[in-house]
Amino acid sequence: MKTPFVLRLFLSLCAAVLTTAGLMAQPSATVSGRVTDENAQTLPGVNVTVKGTQTGTTTSAEGVYRLNVPAGRTVLVISYVGYLTREVAIDGRSTLDVQLQPDNKTLGEVVVVGYGTQEKKDLTGAIASVGAKDIQKLPVSGVDQALQGQVAGLQISQSNGAPGANTSILIRGIGSISGGNEPLFVIDGYPVTNSGIGNPLNTINPNDIESVDVLKDASSTAIYGSRGSNGVIMITTRRGKAGKTRIEVDAYTGFQEVAKKLDLMNTREFAQFVIDGRNNGYLDNVAGANISDPNSKRPNSYQIPSVLLGDLSRLPDTDWQDAIFRQAPIRNYQIAASGGNENLRYSVSGGYFNQKGIIISSGLERYTFRVNLDARLSDKFNVGITMLPSFTRQDDVSAIGHSGGAVVQSALSLPPYLPVYNADGSYTVTNQPTEGNISYPHPVQLARELTIEGTQFRFFGNAYAEYALLKDLKFRVTLGTDLNYSKNRRFQPNTIDPTTILTNASATNSEATNWLNENTFTYKKRFGDHALDAVAGFTAQKAYANSMNAQATKFPDNLIDNINGGIVNAGGESITVHTMLSYLARVNYGYKDRYLLTATLRRDGSSRFGADNRWGTFPSASVGWRVSEEPFLKGLRFLSDLKLRASYGLTGNNAIGDYRAIGLLRDANYVIGNALTPGLARSTFTNGLLGWESMKQLDLGIDLALFNNRLSITADYYDKRNTDMLFNIQTPSATGLTSAIVNLGEVQNRGVELSLTTRNTTGAFKWTTGFNLTANRNRVLSMSTEAERIFSTAAGRANYAVTQAGDPIGSFFGRRTLGVFQTDEEATAYGKQPFAKAGDFKWADLNNDGRVDDNDREVIGSPHPNLFFGFNNNFSYRGFTLDVLTNGMVGQEIFDATFMINNAGVQNQLREVYENRYVSPAQPGNGVYGRSIRGSRNNNNVFSTSYLFDGSFWRIRNVSLSYTLPGSLTNRLKMNGIRVYATATNLFTITKYHGYDPEVSNSGDDLRAAGLDFGTYPQARTYTFGLNLTF
Amino acid sequence: MKKIVSLCVLLLLGGCSESFLDEVPQAERSETNFYRTTEDFYNAVVGAYSTLKNAGLYGSGSGALFAMTEVVSDNTDLGVTRQALNASTYEIEDLLVTITNATVGSAWTGHYLGIARTNAILDRLPAAAVPQAGKDRFEGEARFLRALFYFNLVRLFGDVQLITKEIASPYGANTLTRSPAAEVYALIVEDLKVAKEKLPATLPAAEAGRASRGAAGALLGKVYLTLKQYDNAVAVLKEVIEAKTYDLMPGFAAVFSPTTSYVANREVIFAVPYVSGQIGQGSEMWSNWAPFNAGVALLGTGGGNGGGFNRPTADLAGAFEPGDLRKEASLLTSFKNAQGRDVNDAYVVKFRQQGALAGDSDVDFPVLRYADVLLMVAEALNETGKTAEALPFLNQVRKRAGLADKPLLSQADFRLAVEQERRVELAFENHRWFDLVRTGRYLPVLSAKGFKIKDFHRFYPIPQREIDLNKTLTQNTGY
Repeated sequence: MKTPFVLRLFLSLCAAVLTTAGLMAQPSATVSGRVTDENAQTLPGVNVTVKGTQTGTTTSAEGVYRLNVPAGRTVLVISYVGYLTREVAIDGRSTLDVQLQPDNKTLGEVVVVGYGTQEKKDLTGAIASVGAKDIQKLPVSGVDQALQGQVAGLQISQSNGAPGANTSILIRGIGSISGGNEPLFVIDGYPVTNSGIGNPLNTINPNDIESVDVLKDASSTAIYGSRGSNGVIMITTRRGKAGKTRIEVDAYTGFQEVAKKLDLMNTREFAQFVIDGRNNGYLDNVAGANISDPNSKRPNSYQIPSVLLGDLSRLPDTDWQDAIFRQAPIRNYQIAASGGNENLRYSVSGGYFNQKGIIISSGLERYTFRVNLDARLSDKFNVGITMLPSFTRQDDVSAIGHSGGAVVQSALSLPPYLPVYNADGSYTVTNQPTEGNISYPHPVQLARELTIEGTQFRFFGNAYAEYALLKDLKFRVTLGTDLNYSKNRRFQPNTIDPTTILTNASATNSEATNWLNENTFTYKKRFGDHALDAVAGFTAQKAYANSMNAQATKFPDNLIDNINGGIVNAGGESITVHTMLSYLARVNYGYKDRYLLTATLRRDGSSRFGADNRWGTFPSASVGWRVSEEPFLKGLRFLSDLKLRASYGLTGNNAIGDYRAIGLLRDANYVIGNALTPGLARSTFTNGLLGWESMKQLDLGIDLALFNNRLSITADYYDKRNTDMLFNIQTPSATGLTSAIVNLGEVQNRGVELSLTTRNTTGAFKWTTGFNLTANRNRVLSMSTEAERIFSTAAGRANYAVTQAGDPIGSFFGRRTLGVFQTDEEATAYGKQPFAKAGDFKWADLNNDGRVDDNDREVIGSPHPNLFFGFNNNFSYRGFTLDVLTNGMVGQEIFDATFMINNAGVQNQLREVYENRYVSPAQPGNGVYGRSIRGSRNNNNVFSTSYLFDGSFWRIRNVSLSYTLPGSLTNRLKMNGIRVYATATNLFTITKYHGYDPEVSNSGDDLRAAGLDFGTYPQARTYTFGLNLTF
Repeated sequence: MKKIVSLCVLLLLGGCSESFLDEVPQAERSETNFYRTTEDFYNAVVGAYSTLKNAGLYGSGSGALFAMTEVVSDNTDLGVTRQALNASTYEIEDLLVTITNATVGSAWTGHYLGIARTNAILDRLPAAAVPQAGKDRFEGEARFLRALFYFNLVRLFGDVQLITKEIASPYGANTLTRSPAAEVYALIVEDLKVAKEKLPATLPAAEAGRASRGAAGALLGKVYLTLKQYDNAVAVLKEVIEAKTYDLMPGFAAVFSPTTSYVANREVIFAVPYVSGQIGQGSEMWSNWAPFNAGVALLGTGGGNGGGFNRPTADLAGAFEPGDLRKEASLLTSFKNAQGRDVNDAYVVKFRQQGALAGDSDVDFPVLRYADVLLMVAEALNETGKTAEALPFLNQVRKRAGLADKPLLSQADFRLAVEQERRVELAFENHRWFDLVRTGRYLPVLSAKGFKIKDFHRFYPIPQREIDLNKTLTQNTGY
């Protein structure tokens, strides 16, 4: 390995340091004084130095300093962690008291960037920051849920309402077709990988977070090289501040309920719907069928349940949703302490979070702890540690997917004429159907008796040591580890469905460990008008994952609910390892604080890449111009800040999976001699050239603040081109394999981000508005000739989405419905659908070949929003604060597969469908919904525009009201602060979508198959009340 | 300062040991160290056999072949509600197969998967450190399987891509054209001739399931019969009969018994073996071919709901002569539901295993069996004009079925008698469609029963997926 660039950089840095260490002191005068905080409390441990010298001291426990100032020096620099640094002119005084203002992250705020921090005014890249205050407004389990709608360019969707469920997080659109799309999460400098329950954010208490910084453009993410192309989310946990010990207790409690229930058919409507569906199917499918034929003449599918031919008024009207949803409690307690002196600072916390799910038998419980210590061993030597242990327990229900095994879809499908329980309290039998009904698991029984439990213990620890080799040159070593141990247990008793299910159980124990060593030099120096801030280093990281599982079946009874109760019949172990070596360097250069330049380079080697393509180099550069600092604009009083930015760079995505470059064999077992005999066969091609996905991104940005920062605007235009994408191409079957993984293709994400903050009123009544808007266009620019189209499948719905050149990734692909045939004659006259009858869908013959078939499919919609936005308002008056957060998405569409599948006259369906369906020429419905038919020969259930719905929405995401008791009262109670608050989350959603929630997807993180609604865990509406005390 | 510089150099150069980045799978086997020893090749041969259980072939008992050879014919139809999930099988039943039909696509893919596995074995065997006896056996098995895969392909699709070497690159088949069927047949005959020489005449019970000399001979006989090389067919089939390794089982039902199946079953020459125990090797023929939604009443606890995938037609039920013992052992036309009421829905009982769990029964699926050989030799002899010599072979099969001997018939009538006998003897064993196409009888027989069948239906369409990936492939006429 040769790294001439990095080496040269260091040598020149070292040389530069040597030449600048030669200034010495002259005769002096003494200055003393007291340093206080914004509340006039004394501050011990504050750094007081004479500007331009190495002379300095710290304040005593009473906040007092005394200092000899060399002659000719006229300025003191007073700095303290968490407070804005002040420079004060001595002006010949011998007593100089100084009041510091807290660094409340306004314009002078510090932004966490990769391998360092930067003042926001000096940024040349596109980085957005969210502070603790904005995160802790929401009572949520993960910080990702709190970020929704708060950052331009950051698209967070929660498609699964289960406690602890994952969110899909995208920064500036989908850049990968087959690799990962999730951004890199960096916790206190440590890039972590996904493991266990949800994403890494799920194991961190949001209250422990000081700030979240979102790195969006190539200039800011290139320092993470082959992991930077999906953007980076930097999480910084709270660290101690020297000063009085501060203890904070926060507790909230509340309840959740399902945000929306669907309006389904009642028994009377259901009966008619079923009778119509069975009769229509019978007449169409069976030659010589007559509508008056009794069940004995009909095949099973077309029989009419005799109960529906009797007196319907004696049957119950069950809404099965009521049986599975509940009002569920949520509570959170945290106690935190921080403090210390200038030599040792600490911040510790312990928290407990408990959220029950709105579906019975689901919930999440989490214990979190945090220890952050920082010690100054000498003027030159600092060490510190971060420790974040957590324990999470998740109780899951099988909520998502087809009614065959899922609670929600079963509840939406089951006939309303069945009671939930029999008179004796036992479950109604729903799984041994007769007369053409189909089998469903009893949703209540399924939720209660199918046990799915997971636990995860996570220990995240990162220690650093920093040594100032010279005044401006620091060397920092970090050593950290992220240890995850998780267990999953599943037990399925045969009571759920005796026809198809034997009692079975499975157990999985997983271990994921990761260690990281980083060694970096930083050099920070001003030379007159020139400011230089450079970092360079070397890192090594190794990730190991091991998972063992066992399954058991043939349980003699249901008394033991783990694998030990049955006969273990299967098991396995998986081991994956990946390693990474990296070199990195960055230089920030500023001239006259006006002309800013950043250049970054990272070189990554990864075991994931093929043997012939192991190392990648990722450079970026950016420039900034602080126009408002130019002398010719200094006179414009209304202009507080104006900066123009431009960046361009190359980053990569290494989320291509382990061992993808190596040809693997897989089990191909058979029976020889009447016994299972292991066999092997090739399962993947060998590809020595397989490498990272590349992303080139251009960003043009402007930061503008007007009228004394009353109005600030940040706007960015970006153009991302992802190339060499990890591509699962289809290969001819003649090769013996049907797919291969290669790098090719190009995807573009182009967009505009705008964020606007206005301080509308600033008196006693304060009103601040934050608005952000992102418009992103995703388009596949090229695919390979071998794989012009990739089809996607999710939740058993095959090939409903396509990824192809010219369209967004995962565009909906299907037939175009022209309408509903109003008469049989009309259907016959159309002539392109031989089996169509009145009430069936009429589709466009797109290729004009005289018949409608699978060749008449095209892109019919997109699951991606055209734009998404957040609109947030904060009002405060005296002790009262009211926050209203809203967010929305516009233009995305949803494929409602629940609606599609429940149209056969078998399952229950939306009442709206009953009222608007086609029944006869005299009752044609709304012309949009077809007839009820089981076994449609016209294949009405083929995916078409009939099942696509507008998913645009505007949601009042969070309303929180808090009241801080007046200081006089608090002081009398010998406390620092008392705050009470109440929040309502997911209060109201404006949408045309008829399902549970427009933020829906059954495909998890697979964005090629987004936007499918097929039995999802609905979102909750949450009300909480909380109390926050500080001592 | 020097210290700093040397620290820089140390960290930068010392840290980057390239071997840190060499990670190979620890829990998965990779190609790098495979195909060396006898064990490796045995594992590879087992892997090639396992292709028979691919969804494009026999699957877990209801792969693509039953739809493409039984449902398409007058033997069975689909007894399940029409929906998007089974649209491809309904297309086959309705003779409206589209170029994107998933079942047809899986048949193409599955067979080529098997061909690639056999090619990989045959390519690497000569250089391997395997004793000669082992090499002969593995070569015979690989060639037998390759011949079987190609024989199915050429009968289902006509001209197909002829590949005899392993393809290592994903792009290696992008311009490979279809070869004339005659060339494919030449390879099949060559492979089976070699296999017949190299395979053992008999198999110990512990090797049941592997290919034998008799299997190669019986398959070669079927190939000759299809090629209308009747003298060759007679010769090779008589060799199988005269070896006296095989015989008819005394009772018809015993051929499909879950307990005696295959290992102790002298009638079976080559079968796809199934074993229960929830180890991924059970058969779903019983549960999937039981009436749709029959449930516990018929299938018992854990036996599944019933799929209705391969429902015998009334025409087939009527094709059995009165007194034919095979009828009740092959199909039933009604069952009692949970309320004790009769439900009139026909279903296959040939592969019945009461008490089996859903998709986990033991009954093997015969690919080649002795009754088939007897009927093939009868057909071949009749075609060469030796009807009298053919008659005893036909009657041997009828006798076991409890039916009276046929008298000596004209050559034309004897053809029809063999056709009828094959239909009822071999029902649901994936012969019907191939028999009708082989004899050219598919048009008159099926048209007479109201099928809208055309000449082009003799072949299925080349899957559009393959044409999309390889523009040199041509489509069969009619699609």
